[in-house]
Amino acid sequence: MIALVAAPFGLKPYGIYLLSLWVVMTIAAIGLNLTLGYAGQISLAQGAFVGIGAYAAALLTTSGWPLWMAFLLAIALSLAIGWLLGYPALRVQHHYLAFVTLSFATLVFLMLRNEEWLTKGVYGISGIPRPTLFGWAAKAPIAFYFFCLGILTLVSLATWWLVRSPWGRAFTALRENPIRADSLGVDTRRYTLMAFAIGSALGGISGVLYAPLVQFIEPTAFNLNLSLNLLLMVMVGGSGYFLGPFLGAAVSVLLPEWARFGSDALYLIMYAIAVMVLMAFCPSGLLGLAHRVLKR
Amino acid sequence: MNPVLEVRDLAKAFGGIRAVNGVSFDVREGEILGLIGPNGSGKSTLFNCILGQLAPSAGEVRIDGRGITGMRPCQLNRLGVGRTFQLLQVFPQLTVRENLILAGQEHQKSMWGRLVGRRDAGLGEAADRMIEFFRLSALAQEKAGSLSYGQQKLLDVAMAFMAGPRLVLLDEPAGGVNPTMLAGLRERLREINAMQRATFVVIEHNMEFVMSLCTRVLVLAEGRIISEGTPEEVRADPKVIEAYLGG
Repeated sequence: MIALVAAPFGLKPYGIYLLSLWVVMTIAAIGLNLTLGYAGQISLAQGAFVGIGAYAAALLTTSGWPLWMAFLLAIALSLAIGWLLGYPALRVQHHYLAFVTLSFATLVFLMLRNEEWLTKGVYGISGIPRPTLFGWAAKAPIAFYFFCLGILTLVSLATWWLVRSPWGRAFTALRENPIRADSLGVDTRRYTLMAFAIGSALGGISGVLYAPLVQFIEPTAFNLNLSLNLLLMVMVGGSGYFLGPFLGAAVSVLLPEWARFGSDALYLIMYAIAVMVLMAFCPSGLLGLAHRVLKR
Repeated sequence: MNPVLEVRDLAKAFGGIRAVNGVSFDVREGEILGLIGPNGSGKSTLFNCILGQLAPSAGEVRIDGRGITGMRPCQLNRLGVGRTFQLLQVFPQLTVRENLILAGQEHQKSMWGRLVGRRDAGLGEAADRMIEFFRLSALAQEKAGSLSYGQQKLLDVAMAFMAGPRLVLLDEPAGGVNPTMLAGLRERLREINAMQRATFVVIEHNMEFVMSLCTRVLVLAEGRIISEGTPEEVRADPKVIEAYLGG
């Protein structure tokens, strides 16, 4: 935590931007980790919820509404839509569920692109203002970074509480053996819907921070690539580990940028090979690997 | 005394195969009913139809006089019905203690109450007592997946009792358990039956276990009940000897 507070000092604006992006993506990945890592429900739609949050923030704040209103709207929207997206999970699982959520992600992207009256389509929305809190303007990169870090802290604490509560235990049971869980009184339907709703809401929160971070959004930022990237963060970090999304987002957001300064042409290939090797030999991700090594 | 469980003309067909074919029986409070029969005779299908895992093709199931046909397993569990499965079903990534807490937590408070309430849902002591009762104390903090098969089986059975059920359906509790552990399991079941007046229905192939535990036995063959009575009566029934026990 101290390292995270000290980190932006001495960094150039681009470094602070990357650090902020890591914070924002971590929040979305924490949400997906809840849905996928803890409750075992695959989703390829997390990027779409980031998009819903980002557009809620962009549309409201450029019309003069405060950012906290955008938080409320994004959370309400993503909770409700996430809950609905959970219904297919009651019928289909695994790669079938992946396809259902993938279709949803595509649908959201097409809506963001085509419904120009609302979203301005491919032209995007620019001039998204950064928030002012109790008279403190989070306009400078470093100030906005701390604002995002504050939200990440709140999200982390809430998630920590959730996964250690009886709900977290029920999510794990749902992932490991839904039939047995059901026979023990765990309402697997409701917990499945909850896992989708809460995970999606965190995607929405991430989006509300993403919009004022980049200050210009357009639909391609929230296409399937983002959902796949978020999935990669969860898997690489360690699906079902609390700290997995933090590490996964760091690998996905910071590592390519850092490696890029080394060998421009090779870094993507090296990165892809590293991820493939990791997934082949340790599907439980980096934290799973660390866990295995420490147990020896 | 009113029966705890009433099964009337229950049938389940898979295509042309009638796995359960018009089965009727009652289970009285405090009774330990054995359900035996050859492989494929419909025992587990009957369990799954009673417990909402499968929708029966016909017939009715009542618990304490209340129709429960078509209810979901979690709803039945909240009515006080517990079960174990034929294959081992514990949660390998949770510790023994957490498996037991999970098995009872949904009976505590409301869903929101559980979210903001205690981490162990107020079941920590009850779980510890159950761990001691089933002689699993040394393993309380171990992940269930790291236990031996027999130990997991004990945990599996213990979980079915965490919510203090009135009726428990046990599907082959003795399968794969060594003789020493089996004697312990039988004692535990007898004690729970005596202390809590819990009613059991037990599917089992281990005849010695069934005959020494159960007060009454039903024999199923090809989806129908072919014999019913005390363990001695059933063992002497020529139809049972022919269909199942052998000469």
